[in-house]
Amino acid sequence: MLKKLLTVRNVVILLLVIALFVISGLLGLKVIPPEVNLAAPVLFHIGSYAVTNALLTAWIVMILLAVLARVATRRYPKDLAQASNGELVPSGFGNFVEWVIEGLYGLSRDVAGAWAPRFFPIVMTIFLFVITSNWFGLLPGVGTIGLLRHPAVEEAGSAGFVANGAILTAHEAPTVEQGYVLIGFLRPPSTDLNFTLALALVAVGLSQYFGVKTQKLAYFKKFVDFSGFKDGAFMGLIMVFVGFLELIAELARIVSFSFRLFGNIFAGEVLLVVVAFLIPYVASLPFYGLEVFVGFIQALVFMMLALVFFTLATIGHGSEEHH
Amino acid sequence: MDVVGMKSLAAALAIGLGAIGPGIGVGIIGGRAMEAIGRNPEAIGEIRTNMILAIAFAEAIAIYALVVALIVKFV
Repeated sequence: MLKKLLTVRNVVILLLVIALFVISGLLGLKVIPPEVNLAAPVLFHIGSYAVTNALLTAWIVMILLAVLARVATRRYPKDLAQASNGELVPSGFGNFVEWVIEGLYGLSRDVAGAWAPRFFPIVMTIFLFVITSNWFGLLPGVGTIGLLRHPAVEEAGSAGFVANGAILTAHEAPTVEQGYVLIGFLRPPSTDLNFTLALALVAVGLSQYFGVKTQKLAYFKKFVDFSGFKDGAFMGLIMVFVGFLELIAELARIVSFSFRLFGNIFAGEVLLVVVAFLIPYVASLPFYGLEVFVGFIQALVFMMLALVFFTLATIGHGSEEHH
Repeated sequence: MDVVGMKSLAAALAIGLGAIGPGIGVGIIGGRAMEAIGRNPEAIGEIRTNMILAIAFAEAIAIYALVVALIVKFV
């Protein structure tokens, strides 16, 4: 088996990687110890509105999704009712997009049943937005191309670059004037808690909206439950308490949605930086694959959970059994 | 022990202890899913979808612990 691995291409790649290590050593390049900022740093201000790098990336992702949608549907005939069957067959990128949408529509029909056409545009948008935001952070240049600033005085001891002529390397003895800190131009939007919190609020808010739409105001009986009193005072009190717990559970869903997405993607970003610091160039590769997978799974989970909560909101109090 | 040392210790403990429960939980979910597939190999698609959903729930708890560790260490 080893003979099969020893092709010319593989040997050339191996030699290139070794050369990369040797040249970096000779030039005195050092990987900086990872520097992690939980809140997205501000890049510039529009008037008094602060634009962070995560916000900038979110705008770019939105424009990218709109452009992709246009590209996918470019070849569709203008008047669908009068197109011949041959013209309706999609091809190329449109075909791929239709495959994705059909697959996820089947999944949401299994979960939501008759409500699937109503919920699907919302959850599919959430899925596409989240998956593009997650995978955007894996592109080369995101987070690594940016502005250099001197660190603030209170972070004077934190890791940063010093300039060695025109080359930036890890610092040895930083003073605030000598050190630099890199603020990337782009940062995956899902690493910003504002983004994930907004999505979570939309998801939970919409589930309340769908609940009210199907059950009118009787939906709120789930939270303020006085029906137990007909079985005696004790049962009544228990049911009131259960209703209160349901309210807490709804609020906890907001926290859980936002922190699940934020934690996974932010921790993945930190993991890639730390592993690149430990063994440069090479060891990040398996974790890179993991991050691709995690990005997809987190988008899928957000979508499925939103769908499940929408469906539960429309089912109502009477037909489900209490757990 | 100085503040930085305490912070590092706190971050390590937060994620270390916080990953025990979800680790066991994910293992149990996976094991039951394997059993279910063994009993009914035709339902493998459904089982896989629901297993991934349940694993994401269990994983979220570990992620909360990780976020606390990061906040303690870096904020």
